[in-house]
Amino acid sequence: MTAGKSVATTDLPESRTAHPAGRPDVLNGPFTTRQLLRIDDALRVADQSTGLIFTVYVGPLDEPIREHAQRLHAGLVDPARAVLIALSPNQRVLEVVTGSEARKRIPDRDARLAALSMVAAFGGGDLAGGIITGLDQLATRAGRAA
Amino acid sequence: MSVSETLLIFVAIPLAAVLVITALSRIGRSGGTGSKRYRPGRPFDFTPVWFLSSPEHLTESARTALPEGADARELTSGEIETISAPARAGVTGGASDRW
Repeated sequence: MTAGKSVATTDLPESRTAHPAGRPDVLNGPFTTRQLLRIDDALRVADQSTGLIFTVYVGPLDEPIREHAQRLHAGLVDPARAVLIALSPNQRVLEVVTGSEARKRIPDRDARLAALSMVAAFGGGDLAGGIITGLDQLATRAGRAA
Repeated sequence: MSVSETLLIFVAIPLAAVLVITALSRIGRSGGTGSKRYRPGRPFDFTPVWFLSSPEHLTESARTALPEGADARELTSGEIETISAPARAGVTGGASDRW
């Protein structure tokens, strides 16, 4: 990760200490170092250009899936301006949650369009690529910060 | 050519080649990124991750959203009502899809 600007938080705090050899826990996630850097970059660019807060969650989602994604979204400091992309590779589901402010910049129709292109990449097994295109599309639609 | 020479050339050498190639492919698989590859429909084992552009965007309660230990507990129907109610009031939008 670049300069500690971006973090990846795991859901299970105790697993963070599971690797005393100094291997960060995020490397046990679904991505390689190179992919992590690209996602990190995409997130930073999306945040800076739009002024919204983009987050990506990759992990299991409980039923009901939409509610779980909304709970994750509500756990952010400023949920109104936040956009959460939550995906579960094993359940093969994707949820895009936009806060009340973010929703004005990214209408549901455009979120749906971004979801469609992300799902196309995920279906081909390309998780990181899908996330990056999705972030790019959502950020482009949201436009520049006012 | 004697029998031992024939065996050496037509059995031992091909066998050695096969073993070397197998060993190399094993090393490549364990060291490379192949084991991490996600293939839709096959179980994919990984640590859940949540990416944020800065950690202060996450509230303290969300950091420990899941109790220490393994799985998230199941929600009863009553809890779903109380938890999803404020989310509905805040009109979150977005989209859902599956692949």
